[in-house]
Amino acid sequence: MSELQGSEGTTQRLPVIEKAEYEPPPAPEFEPGREAGREGRFWSARRVPAAVVAVLLLAVTALFLYDIAAVRAHRPAMAWRRDLAHQLATRPLDDTWVLVGAGVTAVLGLWLLLLAATPGLRAVLPMRRPHADVRAGLHREAAALILRDRAMEVAGVQSAHVRVRRAHADVRAVCHFRELGDVRADLNTTLDEAIRGLGLSHPPALSVHVRRPGRKG
Amino acid sequence: MLRIVNRVLIGLVGLVLLALGGSVLAVGLGAPAPSWWIHQGRHDVLLTDAERTKWQDHAWWWPTVIAALAVLVLLILWWLTNVLRRRRLTEVLVDTGDGEGALLRGRALESVLANEANELNGVAQAHARLTGTRTAPETKVQLLLEPHVDPAIALSYLTAHALTHARNSAGLEKLPTEVRVKAVRHRQERVS
Repeated sequence: MSELQGSEGTTQRLPVIEKAEYEPPPAPEFEPGREAGREGRFWSARRVPAAVVAVLLLAVTALFLYDIAAVRAHRPAMAWRRDLAHQLATRPLDDTWVLVGAGVTAVLGLWLLLLAATPGLRAVLPMRRPHADVRAGLHREAAALILRDRAMEVAGVQSAHVRVRRAHADVRAVCHFRELGDVRADLNTTLDEAIRGLGLSHPPALSVHVRRPGRKG
Repeated sequence: MLRIVNRVLIGLVGLVLLALGGSVLAVGLGAPAPSWWIHQGRHDVLLTDAERTKWQDHAWWWPTVIAALAVLVLLILWWLTNVLRRRRLTEVLVDTGDGEGALLRGRALESVLANEANELNGVAQAHARLTGTRTAPETKVQLLLEPHVDPAIALSYLTAHALTHARNSAGLEKLPTEVRVKAVRHRQERVS
């Protein structure tokens, strides 16, 4: 434990994990080269759409319930219900507003179906499991930040822009000294290792572009 | 569990909306409708007075409508409360091995886990939350990493230390964990 504490502010790389004295678990240790099963995506709980749909449904149902109960209790129906019944009974199907309304309803329904059937959480990349019980996801933004920092460590790189997508990592580096080919080769090795260090279940394919600064001084 | 309920209900609502909107659109644009369908042609109206009041004279109609609406309102209320409530485990049942059990406060386990994760090299901030049930707890951990550390190494440290300690100290056979890893934002600069 002691080597883990009091290390704030240092920038040294962590050593390979060692067995400590506390009797380690039967957990398989992380090995960068090990081929593990491919992890599935993270599935969003869809809380926000669920809350919105539930609130809207609740409002509509409660309104109808209230008004129908009020009418049963011999009170006059609200004006909107009479108006709605009148509109429903007079507007033909090829009325423009009916068609527009139907189109919007169908699109909304399709969108809800898509929300229900797709995993969402596109920004979270699944990581390899270090242990059967542990499921981890790395945010794409974090992956891009880490790759950018590793790219900046290569001699000659002045600035780097990294874009990580689900299957690709695009690195654009500006190089202000050394041969472009050398820098590109160095970047490839460094970033290949960095991508392995991300511990992703589906490591993104790397593409590196190196160029000189556009204008001098 | 909630994820499945949410997705099934959202999908159901979506299906109903798609069917209603799609059928009105199709018939309104001139597609032929089957004979049993409520709309027969493009000059038909959405819902005639006759269709709307068809069952009104029956004694069972209004009580049935009101009962159905009431059940629907209750179901939606149940759904909404479950969606809005953040389920958080308040205590964990620890098997002490002598046939009795002890209760461990969930917050205590959460803070120990988060503190231990915070002490790992390269972790700027850690947050832990317990979910699941008293006998089968689960955790959700959020890690904010500093730029110099590799996520894979940080994750294996977290697993080997913080998570293993938490699992052992609560006497759990397993502690399913979901970890989300983010990194501290910072400007472009040389780290080493």
